[in-house]
Amino acid sequence: MKSNKLNLTDEIKPKVDGFNNKVLQPIKSWFSKYISKKIFIVIKKTFFDIYSLKKLIITIIFLLFVPTIFIFLPTGVDFGLISTHHAATIISIAILFPAFFFTLGIFFALMIGFSGSSLIAEEVKSGTMLILVSKPISRIKIFLGKYIAVIFYGMLISFISIFTLGWIGVLMKSANIDHFISLLPFLTALYFYSLFILFLFTSITMALSSIFKKPRTVSITVFILVIFSFIAFFLIRIFIGQFYGIYQIYHFDLGYHLGNVFVLFIETLNAIPPSAAWQMLFGQLTGVYSLTSTIDPDQGINLGGLEKTNYYLPIFSLLIWVLIAALLLFFGIWSLKKREISI
Amino acid sequence: MIQKNLKINYEVWSERLTKIYGKGKEALEAVSKIDLRVKPGVHGFLGPNGAGKTTTYNMLVGAISISEGKAKIRGKKAGSVAAKQVIGFLPQDPVFYEDMTGEDYLIYMGQLGGLKSKEAKRKAQELLDYFDLFDARNREISKYSSGMKQKIGIAAALIHDPKVLILDEPTANLDPLGRADVIKKIRDLSDKVSVFVSSHILSEIEQMCEDVTMINHGKIVISDSIKNIKKSYVSNLYILDTDMNEKFLEMLKNIDFISKVRIEEIDGKIHIIPKDQDKLRELIPQMLIKNKATLYSFHQPELSLQDIFMEIMAKKEDIKK
Ligand SMILES: Nc1ncnc2c1ncn2[C@@H]1O[C@H](COP(=O)(O)OP(=O)(O)OP(=O)(O)O)[C@@H](O)[C@H]1O
Ligand SMILES: [Mg+2]
Repeated sequence: MKSNKLNLTDEIKPKVDGFNNKVLQPIKSWFSKYISKKIFIVIKKTFFDIYSLKKLIITIIFLLFVPTIFIFLPTGVDFGLISTHHAATIISIAILFPAFFFTLGIFFALMIGFSGSSLIAEEVKSGTMLILVSKPISRIKIFLGKYIAVIFYGMLISFISIFTLGWIGVLMKSANIDHFISLLPFLTALYFYSLFILFLFTSITMALSSIFKKPRTVSITVFILVIFSFIAFFLIRIFIGQFYGIYQIYHFDLGYHLGNVFVLFIETLNAIPPSAAWQMLFGQLTGVYSLTSTIDPDQGINLGGLEKTNYYLPIFSLLIWVLIAALLLFFGIWSLKKREISI
Repeated sequence: MIQKNLKINYEVWSERLTKIYGKGKEALEAVSKIDLRVKPGVHGFLGPNGAGKTTTYNMLVGAISISEGKAKIRGKKAGSVAAKQVIGFLPQDPVFYEDMTGEDYLIYMGQLGGLKSKEAKRKAQELLDYFDLFDARNREISKYSSGMKQKIGIAAALIHDPKVLILDEPTANLDPLGRADVIKKIRDLSDKVSVFVSSHILSEIEQMCEDVTMINHGKIVISDSIKNIKKSYVSNLYILDTDMNEKFLEMLKNIDFISKVRIEEIDGKIHIIPKDQDKLRELIPQMLIKNKATLYSFHQPELSLQDIFMEIMAKKEDIKK
């Protein structure tokens, strides 16, 4: 009897083991290999290194300060007399410039630059990285963990600032909640655009942080890049505009590409109707719109906005810079892998 | 196959392991073709400043690249995640996340080592207790003393249950009490885990280790058990102490098989270096009886590792010159 029982269990056991070995174990080991918990540990630690409520609030105030001043500028419109849609358009236009140039432009990029610059360069310099790399975690996971933490932080910041900015806009202009609801497509477009900026500048920052010795060099490089893309090329366009097209400076003009992508999101989500009211200024600042008038002189009607310069198809601008961001991400991983870590 | 098995049998194994810093004219061979054979137990890694100890360790844990040769930790390629899983590493002058508390730091390190958060917490508290840091567990590491930092560093190295502890000068910057404490802890640990520990304080290594590897200028000078090293470096110095040392000195001066004899000023004993040790050992008892002298002691002093080390290093320098 006893031996029978033993035999039975012996027969059953291999089957269970077989299932375990053939199905469960590979899944488990695949999970532990690729969706390792360790990466979440690094994300969590890094996130709370860059995040604190106080810092978050200061950052948001910093991001919204200049835009709020802009929104204060009077529009000369009586919001009581116009349609909700029209009101939302006017508010959108009031928000558009400060959002593009400051909240999601210069300040956002700098915020990413300053938060991310310390993550690798600083850890290597101070010496904490030496213990980190000696732990059983691959450098790819260390890099990605930190990278993703910056992305999460940026997503949180941009979400809060964009919707706060929308609120501020509505409060200052009409204080009508319906206007805020009509504003949602525009705010959504802004949010998608912010994800693009986030991806691009996080990749730039983290790649630089991975190769440079000093965190300060990283922040300064990002700073210079941001100033160049948002200010220098704009000045070139204003003062020597004739050369801009001839020498194809737009190839290197990050500001132009960002504007192009920005408009792509606005158009795709139908966020603001095309009109010379904002395109004129936007064209001057980014070079996305051609500044020659499209108002038919014979009929005197507005043909629905300015024509685009179309140096690049908007989708190409998007793809090129997404590709560049992806390459920078791989480059960052690669340089951390190759980096000599010692004190 | 046999070679492969051998590699697995060693805790740390390397073949022609080399590190060259810089390129071209600036190139510096900090570690030069060393063959490490670290067996289970406590193994000391000795060498003067700049010998290449830290460089070797950094290669073993995968922090810096290996220029030439190879290294394995329990048969696993140095620098791989699998190798790092079995290593616990305490760097020289370790730097911690100063704003974390001791407990949080250990938990973080444990999780990086693959522990679940509950396990990590339990393990962290166990180690805090073992290293007498339990009361300081909620204090920021920046507020720890050097000794406490060194201990939290060893605890962090241990938290994921490694098989090989690599400790780079764990007693540096500590006062005598702190040193003794850390040494005792390391010795106690050696039941559970192999230790490969560096130091340039030889008496410490002597207290902790069975085997040692000495390096100088990036090359291995000697690698053996302390016992064997001491055996092969028996001195031919004899020390004699009687109630009539002055008289004995005069007599011994005239013996032809004695090359040097003098009274050491510090202890007043006679130091004798004979050409023929057997003859000396026969002579001394005869002299004692003849002179009706009282013998206090007659022995060969045991050479400390320090003496041997100095001797080896001196010889090497001579050869160089
Ligand atoms: N990152 C580096 N770049 C260039 N040379 C280095 C580097 N690190 C160490 N060295 C050189 O390599 C040699 C070995 O240094 P290492 O730190 O390994 O010695 P050590 O045995 O650990 O010395 P110590 O006992 O002082 O800690 C030294 O000549 C040192 O100057
Ligand atoms: Mg050293």
